[in-house]
Amino acid sequence: MNDEKHVPAAALRRYATGDPRSRADQVWAVEAHLELCARCRERLGEAVTFHSPETAALVAQVQTRLATEVIRSPQMPTYRMPRRVSRWAPPGFWARLVMTLLVLGAAIGLDLAGSSGLPPSVVLLVAPVAPLLGVAAVWSAGLDPLHELVVASPRAGLFLVLRRTLAVLAAVIPALAVAGWMTGASPATWLLPCLAFTAGALALGELIGLRWAAAALAIMWTVGVITPSVLTARAPWVLEPTSLPYWAGLIGVIAVALALRRDAYKELRSDSWFVR
Amino acid sequence: MTSMDEEALVHRIARGDRAAFDELYRRTSPWLAVRLRRRCADDELVAEVMQETYLAIWRAAASFSGASVGGSAVGWVWTIAARRLVDALRRRAREGRLPLATLAAPDAPAAEDEALEALLGAELDSAVRLLSPDLRAVLQAMVLDGLTVRETAVLLGVPEGTVKTRARRARIALRRALS
Repeated sequence: MNDEKHVPAAALRRYATGDPRSRADQVWAVEAHLELCARCRERLGEAVTFHSPETAALVAQVQTRLATEVIRSPQMPTYRMPRRVSRWAPPGFWARLVMTLLVLGAAIGLDLAGSSGLPPSVVLLVAPVAPLLGVAAVWSAGLDPLHELVVASPRAGLFLVLRRTLAVLAAVIPALAVAGWMTGASPATWLLPCLAFTAGALALGELIGLRWAAAALAIMWTVGVITPSVLTARAPWVLEPTSLPYWAGLIGVIAVALALRRDAYKELRSDSWFVR
Repeated sequence: MTSMDEEALVHRIARGDRAAFDELYRRTSPWLAVRLRRRCADDELVAEVMQETYLAIWRAAASFSGASVGGSAVGWVWTIAARRLVDALRRRAREGRLPLATLAAPDAPAAEDEALEALLGAELDSAVRLLSPDLRAVLQAMVLDGLTVRETAVLLGVPEGTVKTRARRARIALRRALS
């Protein structure tokens, strides 16, 4: 930028002192230019120092006050989840995902190490309930500090619940596939039970709250299937290929139940046991 | 530090760099103080607004999306300050302590003007000059300061409907002057 495009010193001085004689169109030109030109801002600083003691005093006064305030005020974190991810993921997603992966890792370890005492694959046994840890966080006032706002938003309800569930599944199912590939548990055997448990938790959650529903299903599965299979060292019949049609039928029934009571996720429940 | 531009300074402030914050304050505070004092005659209020603005910059520097989305750091600073000023005026009005009248630039003739026309452009220059002070104040708040109708109404202390009417009249007058 050449010199004649900068604000003349006299105009700058009049602007700095708030001289009422300066015309509006000039003030406009000066202000528009100052926003773009670092050099003229610098020159304005000098003009303030020399010609406008009130402004200079004000600047110094604010600087002293800021010096103590800035030390006390926390800054917002630089890193935030990419917006696209945070729009889909349920609150507290990462911690739960890591926990799920750790459980899967432990299951893989058991499968690979102790193949003598445990004929049924532990990964296969754990797979149906693996997404529940993430699903439990999908709709919960206890985990989501913004829950009341989310419930009040136009997109609240089953749509948002399903969207977040999809995000959970999109993270958990590939992990399960890798775990299954390492231990020889075919996706055909666990995918339908896995989906059935996810949908079942959502449907049951409409009645008793999602976190209770997920916990109840996981405990049921642990007590009813995982423990006997580990004790007897036999694969459970519910995970045999012959039972797959029943799983498919169950998913159908659950989907209907889910759709029938879909408004349950639009309500802001006041009973704390429900949403916790 | 002295060779960095304002965008780079804001990015360093986001990482908690006090020196960058002090440098940004040194570079922008006189400009911001003068600009705010031209809009609000109450120095106490201006100091309050400035303090809030720089605190907001310190806290929320990470939310500055940067020149990549077409925003300059200085423009960002002014946007924060203008909003804070309107908020402060609103607060004052609610408490019943009306601030002193804002400085209006009257139409007195001034000496050396010619050099300034290079900055604004001769046609726009004369078009702005033709506007009445009321219309000019509205246009300044909405175009130059980037405020909404509602914020302009608070800043100028007139009803929203009046702001809309004046903005419309200013637009028509400008169009006529520029065509």
